[in-house]
Amino acid sequence: MEQQLDPRSPARRSGLLSGIRVADFCWMGVGSVATRMLADFGAEVIKIEDRTRLDMPRRLPIYKGDLRSYGEEDPNPDPNKGGLFNNYCRNKLGVTINMRTPEGKELCERLIASSSVVTENFAPGVMERWGLTYDTVKEIRPDVIMARMSGYGHDGPHSGHKSYGPVIQAVCGLSFNSGLAGREPSGWGLSYMDNQAAYYNSAALLLAIYHRMLTGEGGEIDVSAVEVGINLLGPDLLDTLVNQRPSRRADFPRGNRLEFEGAAPHGVYPASGADEWVAVAVFDDRAWESLVEVLGSPDWATDPNLATVAGRVARQDDLDAHLSQWTKNFDKHDLMHRLQAAGVPAGAVQNSRDLAEVDAQIAHRGTFFELDHPVIGPALFEGNPMSFSRTEQHNWRSAPLLGEDNDYVFGELLGLSADERADLTDRGAI
Amino acid sequence: MSAARALAGSLPFAGLRVVELCDTPAGEQLGKLVADLGGEVVKVEPPGGVASRRHGPFRTGPDGVPTEESLAFVAYNSSKRSVVLDDGEAGRALRDRLVAGADVLLTTGSPRELAAAGLDLDALVEQHERLVVVSTSPFGLTGPWKDYLTSDLVGLAAGGPLASCGYDDHSIPPILPGGGQAFQTAASFGYCGLLLALIEREQSGRGQLVDVSMHEANAVSGELANPYWFYPKAIVQRQTCRHAQPVPTQPALFQCADDVWVYFALILAEQRSWKALVAWMDEVGLADDLGDPAYDDLAHRQANFPHVQEMLDVFFMLQTSEDAYSEGQRRGLPIGPLRAFEDLPHDEHLVARSFFVDVADDDGTVTTLPGLPYRFSAFAAEPGPAPRLGADQGLVTA
Repeated sequence: MEQQLDPRSPARRSGLLSGIRVADFCWMGVGSVATRMLADFGAEVIKIEDRTRLDMPRRLPIYKGDLRSYGEEDPNPDPNKGGLFNNYCRNKLGVTINMRTPEGKELCERLIASSSVVTENFAPGVMERWGLTYDTVKEIRPDVIMARMSGYGHDGPHSGHKSYGPVIQAVCGLSFNSGLAGREPSGWGLSYMDNQAAYYNSAALLLAIYHRMLTGEGGEIDVSAVEVGINLLGPDLLDTLVNQRPSRRADFPRGNRLEFEGAAPHGVYPASGADEWVAVAVFDDRAWESLVEVLGSPDWATDPNLATVAGRVARQDDLDAHLSQWTKNFDKHDLMHRLQAAGVPAGAVQNSRDLAEVDAQIAHRGTFFELDHPVIGPALFEGNPMSFSRTEQHNWRSAPLLGEDNDYVFGELLGLSADERADLTDRGAI
Repeated sequence: MSAARALAGSLPFAGLRVVELCDTPAGEQLGKLVADLGGEVVKVEPPGGVASRRHGPFRTGPDGVPTEESLAFVAYNSSKRSVVLDDGEAGRALRDRLVAGADVLLTTGSPRELAAAGLDLDALVEQHERLVVVSTSPFGLTGPWKDYLTSDLVGLAAGGPLASCGYDDHSIPPILPGGGQAFQTAASFGYCGLLLALIEREQSGRGQLVDVSMHEANAVSGELANPYWFYPKAIVQRQTCRHAQPVPTQPALFQCADDVWVYFALILAEQRSWKALVAWMDEVGLADDLGDPAYDDLAHRQANFPHVQEMLDVFFMLQTSEDAYSEGQRRGLPIGPLRAFEDLPHDEHLVARSFFVDVADDDGTVTTLPGLPYRFSAFAAEPGPAPRLGADQGLVTA
C-alpha cells in the first residue's frame, strides 16, 4: 500500500533560491516580511522561535471569524491561530530553541554552520549578548551573509531607540509630509515603513546573495529603516536641502493637491454610499476635455478659462466643489470605469473587501492565493506583485505551527538522534 | 560606467549594462538603485527630456531665481547616463541597438504605450537570450485593467493604502501620503524582481520578462488591512496619523512646546509602559492622580481614559519635542517627533552615521542627497550626479 505523504512535511524546495538555507531570527513585521520573499522563491528559511516569548504576530488577535481589536488580546492565546503570523511566515520552516540555555546556544551554532545566511531584527545588543556577531558567525561559516535589520542602524547615538513603523515614519519625515496645511499631519494609517523597510531588506539580502554568487564573498548588512524612509521622500526633500525652503510653512503639506505637476482637478471626491470615495487626477488638457464630455459639458466646465492647466489650477476650489456635486451620485467603481474608458486617470478608493472581491484586475492576476492551515483552515495570502516568465514562486505551505519542524531540522538536517532530541526537550533547550 | 562613486569593494552591478525607458518614478527609482551601486544605466529620453525634467521643484540659482534644473529629476536619476533619441525610424534603430547590447531593460509603459513605442517585450526576451526586462507598469501587462491610466494618487486609491490614510473626521476625504509612494512601492518590487531575475540568469544563463504591477504592489502593502479582511472579515477605518483599525482608538499625536508634534501610542494594556510613563510624569510633577494604585488595574485605566489623555496633552505641551523624544526613548517608550525635512540634516544620529552626502556636478554645483538605503561590509558607494539631457550622446553615435 502506498504511504500517504503528509502535505506539510518539508519536501525538497523548488525555485531559484532552493540551495540556500537561512537561520532566521527575525520576528515582528519587518524581519518576517523581508525573509518571506526568500522563502517564497525556494530558500529554506528556518524560523527560530522561543516557546516562552511568542512572536507578537502569533499573539495579535487577528482570528478567522472572531473580530477583536488589539486591546482584546487573549492573555493565553493559541500560538497557531494568529492570522498575521500566518500571513508573514508562509513557506518557512519553524523550530523552537531556548537561547538562554547552553544547549540551545550550541544547537543554534550548529544550525548556523549548516546555513549560509543569518537574519535578525532584534533590538541592537541581543545578538551580541548571545555571542552571535558577524565576526563570530564568520568563524563558523566564512562566506556567511548576516543581515541585521533595525529601526536606526547598528551604530550611532540612537541605535538603541525603540522603534516600530509609526515612530520610524515620524522620525524620517514621512508623517509630517502628509496632511492638510494648518492642522495636525494625517500621516500614515499603517506601518508603511514596516513594508518598505522589509522590501529594502529583501533587496539587500538578494543583493548580497547575487554578490556572493559573483565573487564568493559574504558580508554583513546593516539596514536602518529611518534611512530607507528618507530615501523615499523624493523631490520635496531636495526642495528643502538644496533650495533651503522649509517644509514647516503655512501651505505645507498639501493634502490631495500637487504643487509641481500642474494637475487640476486633482483630489478625492465623494461617491454614493457612506464614506465612499473616488480619486481623480487630471494632468493635461486632453484628459480635461474628456472629463468635461463625461460630465455632459455643463456650463461651469465649458468656461474657456478652464481650458488651460494654469486656469484650472487657479480655480481648484471651484472645480472641486462642482465635481463633488456630480461624483456623489455614482458608485465609486462605476465612476472609475467610466472615467478610465474616457481617458481620465481615476481610481475607486478601494478597501480590502474591494480588493479581494470586486477588483477584476487582482482576480485576473491571481495576486491573492489560498493555502490551507491545520488550525486556521484555508486562508487568503497576499502574493508578490511580480509575474516572471521563468522564475516560479513556490508556495508549499502556510506558516509553521510553533516548533512544527523541530524533528526535521534537528533530526534530518543536523543529524541528532531521537534520544538526543528528547534529552534537549527535557532540558528545556528546544 | 556608472557615475556612482565606489568607496570600497567591487560594486555588485559594476559592468551591468542597463537601458532605461521609463517615464514614472516607479522605473526611475529602480534605475537609480542600480546606478547608485555601479550599474551603467543609460536613460533614453525624448527630445526635450522625460516628464520629470519639466516639473519642479527647480533648483534655485545663485541669484535666487529658479533655474531650469528639476530637482524631481535629480531625486530619481542620480548616477545615470542620458542619451536623447527621437521616436523616428532612426531613433528606434539606435534604441534597439542599445537594447541588443544590454543586460537589462527597464520600462514603465502600459501595454498600449509599449505597443505605440514599437516595443514587444516578449519578443525582446525571445530574441536576446540573456536579456532581463523589468516592466514596472501601472496595472501589469495583462488583465482587464492593463491599459488603465494611473498617477500616484490613483495608484494609492485603487491599490488600497489610501483608504487607511486621513483623519478621524470622515467628512474629510482620505488624504494622499506624500512623496510619490504608490510609485515607490512599485519600484521596491521592481528592484526585488530584477535581483531575482539576475540570480536566475547567473544560474541558468537565461534572461526573462519580469512583469511588475504597481496596482498589485500597493494591494499587497496595506499591512493590517488585508489580514483584517482575510480573517475576521473586518474593514479597517482611517484614523489620524495612526493605524487604521476596525474600531476607533485613542489619539497618538501630541503637540509640544515648540509646536512640533510627537507620535506616542500608549498601549494601555502594557503595564511596563504605563509604569514608565507615570514615573516620568511624576518626576516633573505632572502625574497628579495617575500614581494612584487604582490605575494599576487596566480596567480602571480604560474607564478613565479621557482623563489620562488630558493629562498627556498637558504633559507634552510643557516640554519641547526633542526633550520628549530623548527622555521618552531613554525610558524605553516608543516616541518619535514628526520631523520636517529641514530637521533631518541636523539629526545627531544621522550626522554621526554620515548619512547625507554632498555630490558635486562637473560644473561644481553641489547637491546634498540621502546616502544609500543600506550598508554592506563587502562594498560601499555614494550616488553620483544626475545627468544633463543628452550628456552621454556618444554612447549611441559612437
